[in-house]
Amino acid sequence: MTSMRDIKQRIANVRSTEQIIKAMDMIASTKLHKARAQLEGVRPIYRKLKSVVEELGRQEEAQAHIFFQERPVRNSLYIILTSDRGFAGGYNANIVTTAMEHMSQGKNEKILVVGWEGYEYFKKRKKNIIRKITDVSDAQVYYGTESIANWVEKLYLSGEVDEVFIAYTHFENILNYEPCVEKLLPVPIAAVDTGVARTIRKYEPDTHTFIDHIIPFYLHMNLFRAISESHTSEQAARMVSMDAAGKNAEKMIEELTRMYNRKRQTTITQEISEIIGSVNILHKGGAHES
Amino acid sequence: MSHQSNLVSDNDNKINLTIITPRGVKFVEKADMLIMRCIDGDLGVLPGHEPVSAVLGDGILSIFNNGVEKKLAVFGGIVEIEYQTVNLLSTIAQRPEEIDLERAERDRQEAEAALQEISEEHQTRRLQVLLHRSLVRIEVSTHREEAKYAEDTVRDSNE
Repeated sequence: MTSMRDIKQRIANVRSTEQIIKAMDMIASTKLHKARAQLEGVRPIYRKLKSVVEELGRQEEAQAHIFFQERPVRNSLYIILTSDRGFAGGYNANIVTTAMEHMSQGKNEKILVVGWEGYEYFKKRKKNIIRKITDVSDAQVYYGTESIANWVEKLYLSGEVDEVFIAYTHFENILNYEPCVEKLLPVPIAAVDTGVARTIRKYEPDTHTFIDHIIPFYLHMNLFRAISESHTSEQAARMVSMDAAGKNAEKMIEELTRMYNRKRQTTITQEISEIIGSVNILHKGGAHES
Repeated sequence: MSHQSNLVSDNDNKINLTIITPRGVKFVEKADMLIMRCIDGDLGVLPGHEPVSAVLGDGILSIFNNGVEKKLAVFGGIVEIEYQTVNLLSTIAQRPEEIDLERAERDRQEAEAALQEISEEHQTRRLQVLLHRSLVRIEVSTHREEAKYAEDTVRDSNE
């Protein structure tokens, strides 16, 4: 049986952990706020670019371009976005399993992993990690994604990889985030909508130059968006799990306090009954003697 | 242009301009005419332009509305033009008041100084871009005063 001192010690422990949890919860919620603002900012331009690129993909001239043309696949590049730190519930586990499932469809994969958690995971499984990016500070994300986009583009154009996938966590709202894998390159050509005949659009200076400029721009924005989505989901996941942990800690403290009080009560009762008992005995003894 | 805007009601024959950057929808406005810098020269847009998508270079976007000219510094990106709407997608689009003139001046001086010393091709290209951007910024930011003045005169004439 645990002694009263032990219980008291445990309460103190849980309480100090609770403090840390609360601090982490608060950090996550401010970070979530910021990340969300960033995400809301990048979403419109991404959507617009996506629609422009999709429309472009319907042009026959574009379909022959290297960025759109499907080619025999020997190597696939996977960009997997995870977090640098844990304590985010199932966030990292979800994204790596989704990526693994996708890879298991007979892909000869090369991996660019972002974040320590993912790096440790794939290193343990001896996957072909060709580049890792960790500890990117929030302020560096924008320019960081630009250089990643350039790197990816170079890899694709040089024929080292024949297709590029990105695995990220799509942020719906604080309680909902979906891990998903999307194809970046070659740009998927959307099915031709048989509905309204579309107006024929011209491209300046010409279609090829236009593609050469828009695709890197699109890649950059897409990566930036995916990272923002993941980052926002991570903070949301962390906040939610810290919330749950905080509640658990509270409950635990409550239970332990109750246990402690009960214990104290028992000790007091016991002491009293001992005193009463001994007094009684003394009393009886005294009476007997006299 | 001013007499035209008297004949046609304000919303009828205008371009709806939307500028979107990675920080969100930055600028929504109506305009009579736009002049923007594409990679191979300036492109002017009037309402009713045929659908065109173009690649933008580094330069000034001039927005004319009711005889007032506004200038923005736009660096790269693309533009999507369709009859009455123009969507401009760019990584950087700055209003005059957002430009740090001192920094632009400093960039210009640094770039000019460095250009005289360095002769390696890819370095000079980078510096030329920097120089060009700083010049654009300087020009746009000096336009601020004029725009204000023009707005005032328009308001006076309306009254």
